[in-house]
Amino acid sequence: MHRIVFVAAVSALLQVASFHAKAQPAAKPAAAAAANEVKPTPRLSDGKVDFGGKGVWAPIWVLDWANKKWVNQAVDVPFKPAGLELFNERRANNSKDDPEGYCLPAGVPRYTGTPYPFQIIQLPDRVVILYEGASHMYRVVLMNAEHSKDPDPSWLGESVGHWEGNDTLVIDTVGFNGRTWLDYVGHPASDQLHVIERLKRPDYRTLVYEATIEDPKYYTKPWTTSFNVKFQPGWEIKEYVCLENNKDLLHLGTKEPK
Amino acid sequence: MNAKSLIILSAIAGLLLAAVPVLAHHSFAAEFDSNLPMTATGVVTKVEWMNPHTHFYIDVKDDSGKVVNWDIETGSPNALARRGWTRNSLKVGDVVTADLFRAKDGSNLASARNVKLADGRKIFAGSADDGSPDSKGGPTGTKY
Repeated sequence: MHRIVFVAAVSALLQVASFHAKAQPAAKPAAAAAANEVKPTPRLSDGKVDFGGKGVWAPIWVLDWANKKWVNQAVDVPFKPAGLELFNERRANNSKDDPEGYCLPAGVPRYTGTPYPFQIIQLPDRVVILYEGASHMYRVVLMNAEHSKDPDPSWLGESVGHWEGNDTLVIDTVGFNGRTWLDYVGHPASDQLHVIERLKRPDYRTLVYEATIEDPKYYTKPWTTSFNVKFQPGWEIKEYVCLENNKDLLHLGTKEPK
Repeated sequence: MNAKSLIILSAIAGLLLAAVPVLAHHSFAAEFDSNLPMTATGVVTKVEWMNPHTHFYIDVKDDSGKVVNWDIETGSPNALARRGWTRNSLKVGDVVTADLFRAKDGSNLASARNVKLADGRKIFAGSADDGSPDSKGGPTGTKY
């Protein structure tokens, strides 16, 4: 038995090494060179940044929007006691009640930090964002518009946008239903959430994404976080119907999402 | 090969932790135990190429010769497809070997890492790596 265990252990190590080796694009030098070539920011005829192109934005899973491991700069989240209590509860139970586990929409701003591609389509009066994530949602950002007086609460809220110069798309969103989480680790959000997102594209492959979170129910003041998302040329958005076979709920040890 | 099929529980605990997986749409830690890795070889009995996770089922013979059917959870069909899988990569009757983490609730459910297919190819089957070339590969080695 000891010999078998040893063989298995060595095999396991090799498999881990093999996985990491495969994860490196260096396996295909020509493709890697092409992928690493820095192409300039694409622009529309009016000079504004074009966030589209033949491909999709492919985020990594930003599990913790305040942790340097995933975001550009660590954030000391300004919790109110109610926010910290809820956050600690979610950490203590391993995020078992995460709405994403129930195939509910990740919401804003979380969609940008879930590992499902998205596409940005710019029209003269609106920007449409197509999210593959649960379950292939769309989001409409009305440009140069005012918020409604009393928007109906929703998962993605009501978004209006404007440009700062030609390089920065600013999206302001309110009208949330209070059921989303900001990230996997469970930074909370209420129906008082107000999100300001700033999108830049310094080169063809890079989206610099910044979100400012304001939620007086859970935080003492607004806090800002940012991370980069890579463009994946050649990919398309695919159908993703999260609920078609969600067996995980049977094993998550919970009955209702919170 | 079938006669020698075996499950090694816990024996390689720690060694696979460098690649602790997360799943794209729900908590890994709430459902699976990163301290319960195992490697299993078995015969595919069913494939569900469906969202939010592809599942396949394998008959695995343990040391005593008893055959147990395991439910193996992998990434979403889209995530697997972008990594080179197709819906025909696994077929009923194939003999496959998978690196796994067991479910916390003690059921015969496990989350897959690498799967060695019947044709010899070994493909990552989890969701931690979203496939983008410069992905950080998920929360490797963290408590999440």
